[in-house]
Amino acid sequence: MPHVEPIAREAIADPELAELVERCEKLGVPDALFPLILARVPGYAKAILRAMLMSHESGNVDHRLKEIVRVQLARFAGDRYFSALRSKRAQAAGLDEATVDAGSGDYDDDPRFTEAEKLALRYSDQMFLDPGKVDTAFYDELKKHYTEAQIMELGAFIALHYGMQVFMRTLDASPLAAGKASGAR
Amino acid sequence: MDEGINKYQTSPNFTPAEKIALRYADLMATDPEAIDAAFYDELRKHYSEEEIVELGTYIGFNIGYHTFFGTLKFYPMFSPDGRLVSQEESARLYGAAPASLVGAGAD
Repeated sequence: MPHVEPIAREAIADPELAELVERCEKLGVPDALFPLILARVPGYAKAILRAMLMSHESGNVDHRLKEIVRVQLARFAGDRYFSALRSKRAQAAGLDEATVDAGSGDYDDDPRFTEAEKLALRYSDQMFLDPGKVDTAFYDELKKHYTEAQIMELGAFIALHYGMQVFMRTLDASPLAAGKASGAR
Repeated sequence: MDEGINKYQTSPNFTPAEKIALRYADLMATDPEAIDAAFYDELRKHYSEEEIVELGTYIGFNIGYHTFFGTLKFYPMFSPDGRLVSQEESARLYGAAPASLVGAGAD
């Protein structure tokens, strides 16, 4: 069990929070475990889950690309929980495991990614590994491929998901269902 | 404020509960491997499960967003005395290179 245990689903009194947990399960990221841990603080849980879902499902950056970015970050964070989860929507749209793995590997030389996709992967890669490299020139390069709105969408997505992955890593949590674990550690 | 960042472990200005909260933030950013079952047991001596989740998510959120904000190179809109200032002046006032958490307080 994680260092902080989830509450029972039946203990959620707030219907809005219960619906958010269901939406998370429907997407697959996160599964019910993370929301039920967060549900110990219902106000936080609603705000964070809503933001996680919105940042992943909405916007104008391809959902599959954001899913590859998210897994790359989870592996970098050493979080086996979020590393092992997969967006069902991204999978239904054709995202396969080889492409997910490629996004965490030598993506710069991988022909399956466009220049715009490689730059997005470098954005998440460098953000926490070497943020000094995400400088004015880097943002100028991003602007050749993305609108300012898309850059904010990507940046905020990266920041939120990495932050929650770092927290979840410390809880030593694993996904509820045995799936295609991705070797976070 | 500075003591809470730089020497919280030895400062007399913080309670043991405050020190372990600061250590939680420090380690999550610099050495998450050190936050193990024993660390959570220690946290439970001072905080409820609800408070621990509140602290943990707050810390994770701030680690994520402050790193992102750092890459955007923006500065506070107002000077310490309340004047609306340009970003160039604000950078001069607050420093072009914000102090980084280097784990010094955990020593």
